[in-house]
Amino acid sequence: MFPRFGDVNRDFALLDEFRRRMDRVWEDIDPSWPANPAHTGTRAYSAWPRVNLYDGGSALVLKADVPGLSEKDVRVTLNESGLSIAGERTVAPPEGYSAHRQERASFSFSRSLTLPCKVNPEQAQASVKNGVLTVTLAKAPEAQPRQIAVQAQ
Amino acid sequence: MANQTDLAHRSNGRIEAVQEREPVVPVVDVYESGDELLLLVDVPGATNEGIDVRLDKGQLTILAKRREDAPGSQLMAEYRPSDYLRVFSVPQGIDPSKIDAQLSSGVLRLRLPKSESVKPRRIEVKQG
Repeated sequence: MFPRFGDVNRDFALLDEFRRRMDRVWEDIDPSWPANPAHTGTRAYSAWPRVNLYDGGSALVLKADVPGLSEKDVRVTLNESGLSIAGERTVAPPEGYSAHRQERASFSFSRSLTLPCKVNPEQAQASVKNGVLTVTLAKAPEAQPRQIAVQAQ
Repeated sequence: MANQTDLAHRSNGRIEAVQEREPVVPVVDVYESGDELLLLVDVPGATNEGIDVRLDKGQLTILAKRREDAPGSQLMAEYRPSDYLRVFSVPQGIDPSKIDAQLSSGVLRLRLPKSESVKPRRIEVKQG
């Protein structure tokens, strides 16, 4: 972190206050924004959880970081328009402790994604392991990759 | 323009890091009670074997390694699975041998018990 302006000259203490207020504004907009941004190399996204989507050939695989959530806390819905993930994360301060730093926020979330191809809803699977949600969506037969034999003439 | 080849001004542009992936800074909650400090760290994707917590010279280093194979070609990416690293300076009076770490659903729970000498003590007032 930079030294605070107020440490150099008290006349600049106003700038510290300005910075604190701006930090608070960011926290309101984006709950994943850290209260004390030691984050420098990472980008803050307004959407939570952050999602990666992979094409595994015969299936689409979605991965999302959902630390602290178990399978009961996440709802995965598949419909015509795509896939949606919703749920709630609650972070309760433990009893009898005073807080020094609280960067992990509790909030409810909902995200929807349009899928790049048709999937077979019967074979969709979702699991949560080590705080990572994995949704496997088998592609519909017409979207499966098909090898076309090349013939010599 | 001064000669830039001396040691003090040598550019470090040619030094390359061995590791390609920069660790990310995980979000942390820090709580304190009379008996201990409690840290909750979000490390999704990390496993028990990949976690390295050490207390050395008043510095608490939390490293959680994350190894994930991509299940196919990437269509959309909002994050990169990377290791987590965060360093805290902790107050004196923490017993390093009694630090307890638990990992459950991607959240690391670290308990740092205070040694007896720094625990708050109530002093009995005697009748004079």
